[in-house]
Amino acid sequence: MFSSVSYQTGCQETHASKSGLNLMKFGEMLIQPGTLLQYDWYKSWEGRESLLSILHRNMHHRKLFGLLEEPLLPVQFSSSDVQYKIFVSGRSGVGKTSALAKLSGNEVPTMHSETPGIQTQVVYWPAKLVQTNKIVMFRLHFWDAGDAALKKFDHILPACKENADAVVFHFSFTDRGSFEDLPRHMARIVSPSDNTCKLVLGTKYDQLAHSDVTHQELREFEQQYKIPVLKIANIANYEQSELQTEVHEVAPVLNTLCEYLWRRDQVAAGVLQTERQTDEQRHSDEDQMVLYF
Amino acid sequence: MAAYLLCLTTGGGVPLFSRTKGEIKTLPFAVIGTLNGVHMFASTHNIELLATQTKDAKIAWKVCHGSITLILVTRDDGGSDACLRHLLAAVFDAMVLLVGLDDLINIKNVERLKRELKCCYKLIDCLLDQCNSQVFGDLTGAVDVVLGQENTLLQGALEGFVEYADSTYGCLLVRGKVAVATKKWWGLTGMELVLISLLVSTLPPGSSRDIPVFLPQGSPTVPHRLCTLQLTAGVEACVLCGPAPSLARLSDELARYWRPPYESVRSLAQLHPRNFSHHLRIDPNILGFVLVNTEAHRCLCSVQPRHEDSRREGSNLSYTRRRAILRSFYKHTIGHVYAPPRLKDDPNLGPTDDISERLLHRPQETYMLFDAYKCYSLQTAVYRLFVLYGAQIPHYALRSVTRKTLEILTKDKQVRL
Repeated sequence: MFSSVSYQTGCQETHASKSGLNLMKFGEMLIQPGTLLQYDWYKSWEGRESLLSILHRNMHHRKLFGLLEEPLLPVQFSSSDVQYKIFVSGRSGVGKTSALAKLSGNEVPTMHSETPGIQTQVVYWPAKLVQTNKIVMFRLHFWDAGDAALKKFDHILPACKENADAVVFHFSFTDRGSFEDLPRHMARIVSPSDNTCKLVLGTKYDQLAHSDVTHQELREFEQQYKIPVLKIANIANYEQSELQTEVHEVAPVLNTLCEYLWRRDQVAAGVLQTERQTDEQRHSDEDQMVLYF
Repeated sequence: MAAYLLCLTTGGGVPLFSRTKGEIKTLPFAVIGTLNGVHMFASTHNIELLATQTKDAKIAWKVCHGSITLILVTRDDGGSDACLRHLLAAVFDAMVLLVGLDDLINIKNVERLKRELKCCYKLIDCLLDQCNSQVFGDLTGAVDVVLGQENTLLQGALEGFVEYADSTYGCLLVRGKVAVATKKWWGLTGMELVLISLLVSTLPPGSSRDIPVFLPQGSPTVPHRLCTLQLTAGVEACVLCGPAPSLARLSDELARYWRPPYESVRSLAQLHPRNFSHHLRIDPNILGFVLVNTEAHRCLCSVQPRHEDSRREGSNLSYTRRRAILRSFYKHTIGHVYAPPRLKDDPNLGPTDDISERLLHRPQETYMLFDAYKCYSLQTAVYRLFVLYGAQIPHYALRSVTRKTLEILTKDKQVRL
């Protein structure tokens, strides 16, 4: 804990020296997918057995759990549960509610409608850790708030941000403005120093023909802000011929989200180090070397 | 029902929004202007234009608080003017519910108001899109309920939970229908009850919600928080509370109150779509009914009253069709035969074409016969019952079976509407 505090002050100094909002590193660092979680595990026998706990018997649709309910993994799998709160943020109309419906296995609304307040959704996702080979059931509690309500009522933003473990910023592939506005939007909602995971989710990826944002730009964005950019198609997939289609579609997004959240916990517990900490370490080593010579 | 709804500022005639229902083209701007112009012309001559009729359509106007003009154009479905007035009142109250009366009366920035009104669209569309609605509350002005058996247990859990939320207003909703509610909740006006239930059921499904609402009659200018928490699929605990406690704290405490009666909650969810307890058995000829308690503002409807599928019994009316018939029967009866329920903010509208106002007596019963089905209705001091029968029931049995049904549905000691 102490080390992270001292590191933050160091980080602010660097920002002061480099100056300018655009150079701010909002995220910690990018993780190579699969470093901490086994991305394809859900396709394995064990993974499929675990998925059964969150799927309906026909394997096409996900079960929806009330707040009093939770999925039961097969007893022979030893597993642990972790829960996180995730704030869903983005301009009005980019498709936050639709993306959330897609992630949770609900029906994706066919028409845009403004969310009048806060709307939350719990999503369960089982995943297997690379290091310890343990199965973890992630309980992701998404908090979505309509933009007009956020502006009109003061209590909504604090309620969404309170104890949030991650913020997922949304932009729409069909609306370039929403992508260009991201840095400013992020600066409004979070500061680089607060200890939340930050991710970006591009919605309406199905309308690639109308895409206003190129892959090159996404890569540049990722490198510049050290924030991973995920993609999601905001349409219901009607091809249910292949087993677990719906789950296949959202698995990359949920896996990435879980991996970043897990990593944050590991850093907080001191098991892993952040990139900046490693940098600092190296710098101090260099300093020492200078002293020696 | 094909319909246009237009909303304009009364002062400048600036369109705020328009909604279209059914397979119809959008109205050209010139027509909107004319519809508003006719109304303005009348009001400059101290005449209030309320409604008019063309060969196949009805048009109704309503000015709310001197600042918002609503214009409704619908296909003439034989319904009474009372139903149109009720719909317009519901639309305005829906706007108040989500935006607040202040912003609707003192319009400072039209563009901002337009943006704010966007969150009402779904609720308003649901009001306009009557035939596809699973509930009847929007029509009857009385909130839809489900009649379960294990209410004492659930009532206790609800009271405790509502008290924790530092409130006295709370209810348990089963797919938009009230199962149990606190005394104060029942003290809300019929329209408020209907709109809150409808709002919750029109929002996309979610684990919990925290929505600022203005009560159209009770608190039109000060917002409250409507918090809903999903206990199991289709069942939501709702509380109307002040700034505290936060939604996160409510979710944390949820299990303490609702875990013990969890099995009752599950069995409550099973009541949908029959909507009333299985131990109440009604005549097998009944394909559907709507029962309204006009005093308590509650209504019970069911188009699947038999436990087994009654379509097998020779009637080929789909559930959607049954609902449509009952709605149409209700619309033909209210205003034409029975007096319409009084609207709070509509004290005096002058003479209308509603036949009920010209009748010298208060009709008790009415019926309609068709080739494929029969409809019968009766009213008492408190209740109004509308029943849809299959064609095979003999005419002479309609009255006695309807009376007996009312008795079964209202006299049970365990469950009462």
